Amino acid sequence: MNTDARRYVIIVFFLLVGSIYAIRLFYMQVIDESWTLRAQEIAEKRQQITPPRGVFFDRRGKKIVANKTYFNLMMCEAKMKEKFDTNAFAKLIGWTPMKVKSRFWEIKLGEGKYKNPHTGKTTSNYQKIRSYPFVKEMSMEEMANIAPYLQNFPGFYEEITSMRSYPYANAANILGYLSEVNGEEVKEDRFYRAGDNIGRAGLERFYEKELRGVKGIHYIVTSALNNAIEPYANGKYDTIAKQGPALHLGVDIVLQAYGEKLMKNKRGCIVAIEPSTGEVLALVSAPTFDPNLFVGKRSISKNYSKLITDPSKPLYPRPLSAEYPPGSTFKLIQALTALQEGVIKPSTGFPCTKSMVGCHNHPHARNVAEAVQYSCNPYFYYTVKKIIQQGKRKKVTQDAPIGLAKWTKYMKSFGFGVKLETDITGIRPGLIPDPAYYDKWYGHNAWAFSTIRSNSIGQGEVKATPLQLANLAAILANRGWFITPHFVKSIGSQGPLPIYRKKHYTMIHREHFDPVIEGMRKVVNEKGGTGSQARIKDIIVCGKTGTVQNPQGKDHSVFIAFAPMYQPKIAIAVFIENAGFGGTWAAPIANLMMEKYLKKKITDKEKEEHILESDLD
Amino acid sequence: MKRDESLLGNIDWGLFIVFLVMVFMGVANVYSAAFNPKHPELFDFSQKYGKQIMWVGISMFLGLLVFLIDASIYRKFAIPIYLFCLVLLVIVLFMPSVNGAHAWLGIGSLGIQPAEFAKIGTAIALASYVNSINVKQQNVNTVIIANIILLFPMILILLQPDAGTFVVFTGFLFVMYREGITYDPIVLHLVNLIPGVRFKSTWVGSHFIPILFVVVFLSITTLLMSNNTIHFFLIPGVDIPGFFGVIGALFFMGLATYVILRFFASKRERNRITMIVIIGFFLCSLISSIVNFGFQGLKKHQKDRIELFLGLREDPDGEDYNRNRAMAAVGSGGFFGKGYGNASVASVESNHVPESETDFIFCPLAEEWGFFGSFTLICLFMFMLFRIIQIAERQKSRFNRVYAYCVAMILFYHFAVNIGMDIGFAPVIGIPLPFFSYGGSSMMSFSVMMFVLLKLDSQRGDVLG
Repeated sequence: MNTDARRYVIIVFFLLVGSIYAIRLFYMQVIDESWTLRAQEIAEKRQQITPPRGVFFDRRGKKIVANKTYFNLMMCEAKMKEKFDTNAFAKLIGWTPMKVKSRFWEIKLGEGKYKNPHTGKTTSNYQKIRSYPFVKEMSMEEMANIAPYLQNFPGFYEEITSMRSYPYANAANILGYLSEVNGEEVKEDRFYRAGDNIGRAGLERFYEKELRGVKGIHYIVTSALNNAIEPYANGKYDTIAKQGPALHLGVDIVLQAYGEKLMKNKRGCIVAIEPSTGEVLALVSAPTFDPNLFVGKRSISKNYSKLITDPSKPLYPRPLSAEYPPGSTFKLIQALTALQEGVIKPSTGFPCTKSMVGCHNHPHARNVAEAVQYSCNPYFYYTVKKIIQQGKRKKVTQDAPIGLAKWTKYMKSFGFGVKLETDITGIRPGLIPDPAYYDKWYGHNAWAFSTIRSNSIGQGEVKATPLQLANLAAILANRGWFITPHFVKSIGSQGPLPIYRKKHYTMIHREHFDPVIEGMRKVVNEKGGTGSQARIKDIIVCGKTGTVQNPQGKDHSVFIAFAPMYQPKIAIAVFIENAGFGGTWAAPIANLMMEKYLKKKITDKEKEEHILESDLD
Repeated sequence: MKRDESLLGNIDWGLFIVFLVMVFMGVANVYSAAFNPKHPELFDFSQKYGKQIMWVGISMFLGLLVFLIDASIYRKFAIPIYLFCLVLLVIVLFMPSVNGAHAWLGIGSLGIQPAEFAKIGTAIALASYVNSINVKQQNVNTVIIANIILLFPMILILLQPDAGTFVVFTGFLFVMYREGITYDPIVLHLVNLIPGVRFKSTWVGSHFIPILFVVVFLSITTLLMSNNTIHFFLIPGVDIPGFFGVIGALFFMGLATYVILRFFASKRERNRITMIVIIGFFLCSLISSIVNFGFQGLKKHQKDRIELFLGLREDPDGEDYNRNRAMAAVGSGGFFGKGYGNASVASVESNHVPESETDFIFCPLAEEWGFFGSFTLICLFMFMLFRIIQIAERQKSRFNRVYAYCVAMILFYHFAVNIGMDIGFAPVIGIPLPFFSYGGSSMMSFSVMMFVLLKLDSQRGDVLG
């Protein structure tokens, strides 16, 4: 039997295996990506390098939010001595031995457990060869005390981290604070890993994406024991961590600090805006807190619950979120709207009849300016009635909705009843009622001006935030337009965002402002004006007081103003809760703030002392 | 024919050079796979690469000895050599066990593994026996004696235990098949016991070995695939069950064979080829189906046992740790690899792939040189294997031819199983990759095996068949 042909069986066998292997290798190595991913999972670890957050400067270039170096005391069990001296270690870090032991357990249990779906075995995620922070956020001094002795405790070492520090203990309600991300945030944004910080309120939260910067990634090759061996590909793919850009704020930290000082032992707000730019100069919410209380996990957990349960609500951003009736300050835009609608002239007078609404004793207002000066309630009752009931329909209940719809548009053009696009979280829109609002309350065509007349003097349904009132002061200062109030003048060096360059015009023409502003001048500077407390020597201040009726207690004291009258530099709104008449408390505080800003000094020391010593809380 | 007196006169340069290239690549690869930054010198004999170079040196010296000795010695002393190997295999069983196997003679890393040398001894013994018999007289006795020659070393090796080398010995069956020593006499003997049946030969008996291997290969492939879903790589997002993948592959292989063979075959043979291919395809599909559905029908613990044996468990960090790491190393190589010395999964420091310098030596090569390197390696082996077959077929002496086929089959088995386990085609059984894996015994035994072949070939003129 000739078996020579059988060599081909063997050759074919070799060829078959050779080509199958070659195809398989081509598939595994070149086409199928999954093994590359698996290899990365196994051997390449990404070490994230978190850059320090962007810092904050105030309008005069003072650093108001900085980063400070802190230390984490790290622990790696695999490197620890077999006989760990708990007592000596506890003594070193100033803990009780019991606390040290329980901290070990806390770390182990905190890592959770993994259930292998195949074997059904449950194992702890805790790994002896991994490092865990044993004590977090130790200050440089704390670490300096223990660092020399750490060599006696192998397995413990220090790791540098960076945290916020506030050279000025002010503006907490503007700046916000940082705290650790939660599980949902980690899931939502892959930027974060457990233990990272995220902005929680204020500017820290609003500008989170800018401030956090760009994380650096250091690729390393790790061994089967999870130890780093070497930089992967000599660091070819590594990226450098980039700190977020600095935020340059329009806030004047000196003015802000002064405002907070004035508001001590009072509840309420001060909002000051530079009218020409819309930059917020100061935004005081009282009572407030020291931002340094919210630095690091340890102090947050210590202080947060105390502040959140405080009945005076120091964490509540009043200037942005608190919606108050605007009171008499609202009369200013009623006058403007009436002039624009042509239902009154600058020279129109109404007698102070006190029949429909109450008023205090003052001479009859002979024109718009005097009406503002005396803050005459009946005058504005008649004025707003003329806006709402323009006689377009015979029946007043059919006529009122037409007028009110028009009126609502006017109010909204001043930024009332809408959420201002200010660069901070916590903004509320206030409330400007429209026809639909009253239809829901009273039914269609079942209401008229007489039903809603309280709105004409800033009571009733209308509500506004102090920020909106400050914006109103800025609109008056600008005679008809505003730039949305904002905090950040410039992100890095790129200047303000486009939305903070746009002028928003109200529906009122320029010429109608003069009589109203003349009235505001009289309020402060003439006899019989309600805001004489706001007078500043050599500077013409224009203002308007308000006293907001408060069914729950004493009236709120309100004052809005701008100064100087020509080329105004500052517009301000002051709102003091439960302080009574607007001229008594809000006006002098506004006066002090404006003088501080414009003159950098206070001439009336007595007034300042009186305010500082008063306890209205 | 006049005998060439020069030492390297008739040497087959093609085979010799590809051998040297592989040895060189092997050392370079061990240097990367076992690199110790504290001892960066290549010739540092405290390190594995230094030692490997030492082993290469010793192997070359042994090669020189082989060339100085007349080739006829192997034929003359075949039985003493074979018995000597068996004695060593018996002695090694009484040595202390290393890593759970009594495989080492001598101390530590300087010991040798008799099993590696037993392959040569068995090859020579088989060659000598086949040379001594007349094929036309093959009967039950000759088949049994040839099998007994294999059986003794195989049993002793299984006692160590060393499953990998045991499997390699089955390669000798292909050599016997080539020489016409098949199981046909036994099959005939059994078949002819049936009254009224008088066969002179059976097709199944004659081709029992290749058929057996096709069945085993097909069964293992089917089992490996039956739990998988293949992502068909030409059409992204298309998942097909693994079993259909196997059938599909069979179909395409059949089609390709048919087209190629038709191209070469004469008109008369075409119909026969068509029949063979069609019958072959259906038989293979049938076997594959039986294995697949038979496996699916097994009870859970039976399945588990088979899956465990095949390294199929979906437990990348547990039972399947080695294979998963090895495949990740190979698969992450890309086309041109990560660069020499840049392996991240199969590097010695990371130690993700265990034994990356011995049994898993293909991993650092494939990871660092990518498909380019792996394909080159496959081509080198294929070239070497075909060259050996070419050499085998030109021998006048049947002894030489059988020995050459033995060398080809041994190398092929090591190549196929070693690389197969790194790409998920073979169960994880530890056998070295010839000329690449670190280790004195394998380096020396493969080199000596190669040198003996070269020597036999160089003297093919003066030995009469």
